[in-house]
Formats: sequence, structure tokens, C-alpha cells
Amino acid sequence: MPFLKDIKYSLHVAVHPFDGFWDLKYENKGKLRMALGILMALTLTMIVKRQYVGYVVNYNHPLALNSINELKYIIFPFLLWCLANWSLTTLMDGEGKFGEIVITTGYALLPLILINIPNILLSNVITLREASFYHLLDALATLWFVWLLFIGTMTVHQYTVLKTITTMLLTLAVVGIIIFLGLLFFNLIQQIVSFVYTVYQELSLRG
Amino acid sequence: MRIKSSILVLVSVLLLVSLCPRPAGAAPYEGYTYSYWGEAVQSPIAYLPSRAIGGLEAGTGAWNAPGDLFVSAEGLLYVLDSGNGRIVVLDKEWNTLRVIEGFQNGEKKDSFNNPEGLFVTDAGRIYVADTENGRLVELDGTGTFVREIGPPKADVIGAGFEYFPRKVIVDKAGRIYVVGRGVYEGLIEFDSDGQFTGFMGTNKVQFDPVDLFWKSVSTKEQREKMVQFIPLEFNNTDVDEDGFIYTTTVDKKTFSPVKRLNPSGIDVLRVSKEIPPIGDLSRDRSAFIDIDVTGNGVYRVLDSTRGRVFTYNEDGKLLYVIGQLGSQLGTFKNPAAVESYENAIYVLDRDLGRITEFTVTQFGSMVNEANTLYSSGKHDEAAKLWREVLKLDANYEMAYVGIGKSLLRQGEYKEAMTYLKLGNDREYYSKALGKYRREYMRDYFSLYMTGIIAVLLGGYVIVRLVKRPRKEGRVQDAVS
Repeated sequence: MPFLKDIKYSLHVAVHPFDGFWDLKYENKGKLRMALGILMALTLTMIVKRQYVGYVVNYNHPLALNSINELKYIIFPFLLWCLANWSLTTLMDGEGKFGEIVITTGYALLPLILINIPNILLSNVITLREASFYHLLDALATLWFVWLLFIGTMTVHQYTVLKTITTMLLTLAVVGIIIFLGLLFFNLIQQIVSFVYTVYQELSLRG
Repeated sequence: MRIKSSILVLVSVLLLVSLCPRPAGAAPYEGYTYSYWGEAVQSPIAYLPSRAIGGLEAGTGAWNAPGDLFVSAEGLLYVLDSGNGRIVVLDKEWNTLRVIEGFQNGEKKDSFNNPEGLFVTDAGRIYVADTENGRLVELDGTGTFVREIGPPKADVIGAGFEYFPRKVIVDKAGRIYVVGRGVYEGLIEFDSDGQFTGFMGTNKVQFDPVDLFWKSVSTKEQREKMVQFIPLEFNNTDVDEDGFIYTTTVDKKTFSPVKRLNPSGIDVLRVSKEIPPIGDLSRDRSAFIDIDVTGNGVYRVLDSTRGRVFTYNEDGKLLYVIGQLGSQLGTFKNPAAVESYENAIYVLDRDLGRITEFTVTQFGSMVNEANTLYSSGKHDEAAKLWREVLKLDANYEMAYVGIGKSLLRQGEYKEAMTYLKLGNDREYYSKALGKYRREYMRDYFSLYMTGIIAVLLGGYVIVRLVKRPRKEGRVQDAVS
């Protein structure tokens, strides 16, 4: 059962990141389809979480829930992160290939699923006073994810600790730059389109 | 043929429906409340305009820019006709009882000069904030002069202090509180002898970090031209039966335009966490210009931006909204004062010189009554009324909370959870959940434990059964 083996390996990465990410890069144990699967599973988990997390900690307006938003806030940032990280590390002597970055980031997301699902179940039976446990677990999931991402980046690019931290912070800055350029690009395209349309209108009305 | 007839039926039904008058069309404004999410949701109208009176109908000649209104404990309406400097007293049937044009002050005949505020004590003493004359005038019920109280005198008051009293209230102990024009130190307090005793209850200074930043980088000359950080003045006030003083501030930025001051001047207003009593939740915020406190901590504030009266309960939850700017009966041009008496609300319009009376509808009286029972802790009686309210308005969140709390008391935890969730009260939902959880565990703990132990035992047995032959096999292997 290769699929079960993949799952077992991704769990191994989550608890033994140094070992796991090394194998991922140098033994080719990481699978792209597994990373994308984890990403999909995370999106699903987040959709479920928004809707079904216990009422005591659920501050979402039920009429404002939209699954497309989860795609926007998970898949899009994921791709942006990978893209920014790849563009940055090619300039900073990183050894990771784009595929490896995607796989690493994907595997690092696993704790979010591992903690969120029991947390959703738990949140349905806790009272307001116990809500801090829910928030604690939530924070732990995020910390674990950041930890894995850190180790993953370090291993994949063969960086030192300090360089990894700088790279990760710079990656965030690059994400911001990409978003800015994207918006600028779309804005300019919009201007051009409206200009061409105005010219067309002018001509057609005169003709 | 069949299609034709069905179309005919459909058309006639549609025609009939369109001919039927909409019942809500009777009111010149829409009833609404705000949901937990801050969305305006429709609600039945709580008060409907019933009649209006101006100076001509009252037989006193037109009122000129009337500034204040007071309803005494007996239900007499005192109208302060500011432009004409007189007080008109109407009885319950709106017949003119008295017109106080002036009074005999010692030797000379005296009169008001553009007075803005009026207060009548339970004993029938009339206090007038005689604004342009810079004094308070106390008259007895018949309009005979009793005394006048001049500007406050004390060392703390600077020489340049200009005294223009705008509103006045008198508490049970006879202490007099005055809202002065441009006085940002708070309410001016006089003791019952008319001696100045101090200021009370200032607004907090408000500024935002951006302002502070610009102030810190600008030069001295620039700074002098900037707006100063001074607290905003109160613009109106009222006193409740327990002696707490309510004030309003006409500030569109603050989240506490209404204050309830205790005797030492500290704001003790109960405010709901989600939506404080600020009127409409739009970008152009409400500007409160008058407040009227009725029993049980319920207060009504009058908004000049859209001419609406917002009624809040003692928890700061919006009960209902009435009125609007407009030119019909029940709408206003420039509302100036709001008062209520028993089942009626009175709103004075300064520009039209007119009082509009609103009487309570079935919905309004049910809400009022349920809220009274609710705030006095009679949750079970209140719940019955809340259920009636829900029949008229399924959007009314307070009703769900009221029913939920009553069910919680009765031990119906699961149902209480449903209602408290509908009413969006997380705190009490959590209490109900905790109780329900305990009850559930008490009932099912033995069942679940038995199940778990059975599964564990079964698993153990199965493992033993599966493992034993293997062990023997291994032993055999070793032997062979």
C-alpha cells in the first residue's frame, strides 16, 4: 500500500522533522501528490472548521461564510509563499528546487490538520471558561506548523539557522511585493482596457 | 383552456394582493432593530403617531422655536416656548392650562430671554435655564417667582467664564445640575440653596494617535492653530428615580455618547458588549440631543441626524426605534426634545413648533412589559410575553435570550441552548452547555464506560487469541 506508506511518512516528518525533511530531499521520499493532498485536506478542514466549530468559540456570521474564501486564504497564499521562497532562494544560494519547496511546505501543513480536527470536535463540548484550551491548541498547531516550515526550509536549502530566519522574513516581504505588483498590473490592464474601449466608443459614435 | 383559466386566476389573485393596503403603510417610518451582527433587521413598529399639537391649536399663538419639553408626574405638558420667552402648560387632553409670560421679580416685571431648558420637580416647582440672561429661574406651579440663581462663584472658575445655562435638572435632594454652553468641565452643580458646589462627570479627552503624531512634529505656530484636545461638553441631561444622572454628548465619534453618572460623577451605564448605545450603526453616526429616562433603567435618546428616537433597556440593548425626519405626522424637521409619559412618547419639533404624540402599539407594549418583567428578574413571566413578541417579530433577539434564560432556570438545558444560540448570547449559552453536559454525563457515563471497558476487554481477548497460535508457530519454527 504505497498510499498508506506516504501517510506514515508524512506523520514521521511531522514528529521527526530533521530526519524526515532530509529523507524528503535526499532519498526522494516526498511526493508532490501527497503535499497537494495535504493542502486540499487542510482547505477542507478549514471549511469544516468555520462552519462546525463549537458555537462558544465560533464568531463567524453564518450568512458570511463562503468556501471560496478558504481557497483564497489558503491555496493562494500557499502558492505565493512557494513562489516567493523559490525566487528568493535562487538568488540566495538555496539548494532547493521549486518542486521541493512545494513538497516541504505541503508536508509542513500537516499539524494544522492533525490538531484542528480533534479541536473542532472538542470545541463542541467546551464552555466559555474552557475556551482557552481551544485557543491553546489552535496556537500550538500554528507554532508546530511554523517550526516544521522552518526546519523544512533549512534542510531543503541547506541554510544555517540565522539565514533561514532571514530568508523566511524576506519571503514574507517578497510575498508583499508580488501582491503589490499583481495589483499594479491588473490596475494598469484595467486602465488600458478602458482606454481602448473609450477610443472604440468615440470612433463608433463619430462614424 | 385550462392554462387560460389558471392564468386568469393568477392575475386576479395578484390584482387582489396589490389592492390590499399594506398594514405597515400606516406609519411614516419603518420599525427596525439591530441584530447581533450589526445588521438592521425589520421589526414591527412599537409606537405610532397619534396626534400633534402646535401653538395655534393650543390657542396661545404659534410657538417660536420651542426648546424644551417636560411632562410632570401628573401628566401635565410644560412647553418652553423659547422664541417668545414663555412657558405653556397643557393638561392631558391638551387644553391650555396656563401661559407663563413673565413674572414679578421683586419690584420690577421680569421675563425670560431665549431660555433653552426647563425642569419641573415633583412638588411642581418650575426651573428654567434662562440662557441669555445667564441665570436659573425658579417659579412655583402658578408661575410666581421664587428665586433666581446666578452664575457659579468660586475660586476655581476663571474671570473669563461665560455662563449660559442650557439645560437644568433637579434631583430628589434639591441639588441642581446645569448644562452650560461651552462648559466642558462637566455639569455645573449647585446645592439646594443655589450655592455652587463643583463640576461633575466630565467627558474623557479624546484624541487619536495620528493627531498626537502631527502635534508632536508641528511647530509652535502650527500647534496653536490646531484643534485643542479638550473634552466635549454635555448637551443634555435627565435624572432617574434613583438619582442617577444621564447625560448625552453630541459627538459622532465617541462610543459612549450616553452616560449614567453616579453621585460621585463616575459613568456607571451598563453597555452591551456587541453594540453600545450609539444609535444607528452607519458611517454618518447619530447625534444625540436629548435623553429621557423612564422606569426600570429604560432610556430614550433623540437623534438629530435622522430624527429618530432610540429606546434602550438597562443593559444597553436596543428595544425599538421610532420616528424619522420628514414632513408627515410622526416625522420631524428639527426635533429638540423627547419625553414620555405612561404609554405615550412626546417629541418636540423646534422648527415646526409642534409636539407629536406617539402611542404604544400592541408590539410595543408587549416589549415594554416583557422588558420590565425581565429586568426585575421575573424571567418565567417574561418568557410568556417574549413568546408573544416572537410571534410578531421572529428577528427579536432579546426575546430568544429571555426565553432561553427562563428555560435555563427551569432546567431545560438543551432547549435553553437552542434559544440562547438564536439570541446570540454566548455567555448564557455556555452556562446552559455546561449544565447540559453534566446532566448528559450523569445519565450516560455508566453506559459509555461499560462500552469502553467491553471494547477494551474484547480487544484484549482478540489479541490474545490471534497472538497465541503465532507464538506457537514461532516456537515450532525455532524447533524445526
